[in-house]
Amino acid sequence: MIAWSSTTLDNLDIQTEAAKAHRQHCISNETLETIRKAHPVNLYTPNPVIRIGLFILTLICVNFSVGFVLLTTGINNENALRGGVVFCGLVCYGILEFAVREKKCYNSGINEALLWMATSLLSTGILFDFNSTTPSATTIAMVMLLLTTLATLRFADMVSAAGVYISLLALIFLQVLKWGNTGKMIMPFVIMGVSLAIYLIVTQGIKRHAFRHYRNSLTLLRILSLITLYLAGNYYVVRETSNTMFDLQLPPGQGIPGGWIFWILTVIIPLLYLYSGIRKKDAVLLRTGLILVSMVVFTVRCYHHLAPVEIAMVLAGIMLTGGAWALIKYLHTPKYGFTYKEADEASMADSMKIESLIIAQTFTPDQTQPPQNNFGGGSGGGGGASGEF
Amino acid sequence: MNIDTFSKLQKEGLISEEEMQRITTAENNRLFSLHWEIKTILYLGVLLLSGGLGILVYKNIDTIGHQVILLFIALVCIGSYVYCFKHRPPFSHEKTVSPNTFYDYALLLGSLTFVTFIGYLQFQYTAFGTAYGLATFIPLVVLFFTAYYFDHLGILSMAITNLAAWAGIAITPMQILSKNDFSNQTLIYTGIALGAALVLLAELSARRNFKSHFAFTYNNFGVNIFFISALAAMCIFDSPIYMLWFLLIAGAGYRCYTWAFRDRSFYFALLSVLYMYFGLSILIFRLLFSIRNDDGFILALFYTICSAIAVILLLINLNKKIKQ
Repeated sequence: MIAWSSTTLDNLDIQTEAAKAHRQHCISNETLETIRKAHPVNLYTPNPVIRIGLFILTLICVNFSVGFVLLTTGINNENALRGGVVFCGLVCYGILEFAVREKKCYNSGINEALLWMATSLLSTGILFDFNSTTPSATTIAMVMLLLTTLATLRFADMVSAAGVYISLLALIFLQVLKWGNTGKMIMPFVIMGVSLAIYLIVTQGIKRHAFRHYRNSLTLLRILSLITLYLAGNYYVVRETSNTMFDLQLPPGQGIPGGWIFWILTVIIPLLYLYSGIRKKDAVLLRTGLILVSMVVFTVRCYHHLAPVEIAMVLAGIMLTGGAWALIKYLHTPKYGFTYKEADEASMADSMKIESLIIAQTFTPDQTQPPQNNFGGGSGGGGGASGEF
Repeated sequence: MNIDTFSKLQKEGLISEEEMQRITTAENNRLFSLHWEIKTILYLGVLLLSGGLGILVYKNIDTIGHQVILLFIALVCIGSYVYCFKHRPPFSHEKTVSPNTFYDYALLLGSLTFVTFIGYLQFQYTAFGTAYGLATFIPLVVLFFTAYYFDHLGILSMAITNLAAWAGIAITPMQILSKNDFSNQTLIYTGIALGAALVLLAELSARRNFKSHFAFTYNNFGVNIFFISALAAMCIFDSPIYMLWFLLIAGAGYRCYTWAFRDRSFYFALLSVLYMYFGLSILIFRLLFSIRNDDGFILALFYTICSAIAVILLLINLNKKIKQ
């Protein structure tokens, strides 16, 4: 099961909770210190910035080592190449276990890089295009499912958890596809059903004490299942997938059979997410719903031109700005347990001053013309700015 | 906060009755924050509105006429600035707290429309003739003034990118590598000078304690543009001049490293280590390939593997050292 000692991870949780309580001035400095002493954490977790650096360097190191091994095993022999790749994957995994057990690496950048490299090397080795016979899609999905499930269980890694979910859905998709026309017809509903089932199971499981170390992976699964539940019923997705994958050959402008069901689903589901997100005060539901509302707008605009794009943009802009303004005014004093005040968690974005970088990015000044181009006079080129500035 | 965790801690005798009481009250009165959601909606709304209006104007330019549009832009700009002047906190050398969310956005809108106004004027009427520099210089001055007077980090970033554009370089995070032609020597010298100047500005703001929270932004742009230009120089200059550039990188990297330690900044420590490492790697690759052509490749491979491990160990050490 999980690679780190369960007690240490629990202690880490306790320390984070204590730090939170300290930030809200609920406990004193001395109490925080005694809690830290009583529940020590000996994991190596560097600062997020260093983590990124370690991740990049580990990737460089692993990639060059793999290249070196493959050079010596010989590129001409398919079997040797395959063996070399699998060998590298196993070595990666071995180093990962060593780093975790002896060096106590936890969220350090090194363990993520090693885990992802090990998974991808092993899967490449296993699924290698052997004697020019490409493995079937089902085989690929099954191998990926197996590898990512093992990786998730052992290291509670979020990316691996996403891999589990996607390969599972792919596997189900491929199985249903084998039923022929009936399969194609019920496909959206099968995927929706599976997503809903997984969402419900995960939402229940996340509260269980036994799964506490997998909380982040489970949260990611909740978000993913909400998204696939919506996408499987989205009119645009259903129409375009049927068109390209199932050879429906619809002319532009023509709808799919039973299209009205999907139109209803397209519009209703995000609103349902928003509604239950607000009712249950669930940030995952609320934020996913918000993002999916933009998907509704996109889908409707794709098939029905209600208004020219600029008018729609202006109207939507006025509505959103006005709505946000009204909400800020409304929540000036907290109502029904909602507030506009920032949550107490110190956010990573703040410490990196991300916002100012984003502003600098969205604002891109044109460079002044280099001197040698100035001879053309004022009319050409346009030195100051283009129209969209 | 998790009440179960704390009741367990209380049983262990680690927190007192009173503290437990406070935690329970805080947790029971905890509010669900919609801050992130509302801010996102607001930003999206502003983005859609300005984009939509832009297209609307663009499509109807024949019926509206340029003067009307210019007038409109000017009005929006003046309106925003007037709002900000009315609501601004008193000027201070320290960081000031913005009165509300709208204030920040109004300031942003005002600055953006001002830049648009000048750009429009130049594009349509070539108001500044062929003095292209002037068309970016005026916004530059206004942006810096706005950033300092109203204390806005976002506008400071805009001002710095504008300064770089005036000098002929693109330094927005996504374009610094894609838009610049680093085989151009003038660009490299400009980049080095600009980077050094920005770092100097950061040092000055911190030392004189004049808006010292701006130092990070100055440093961030300055350090990156400086090292990227110097690394580009190491790639394009002929032997043996590129070795001089390596010395420059090593010196500047050492300076950056000591400053990072002084300020306990993980970010700049990482930057200095990585940039110095890349500089050293370029030096070694060029040496290897010029001396031994045949085995150079294998040696370079070996060098990369070993040096990457060495830098990983160095970073781990560094992290421990800064934390102390």
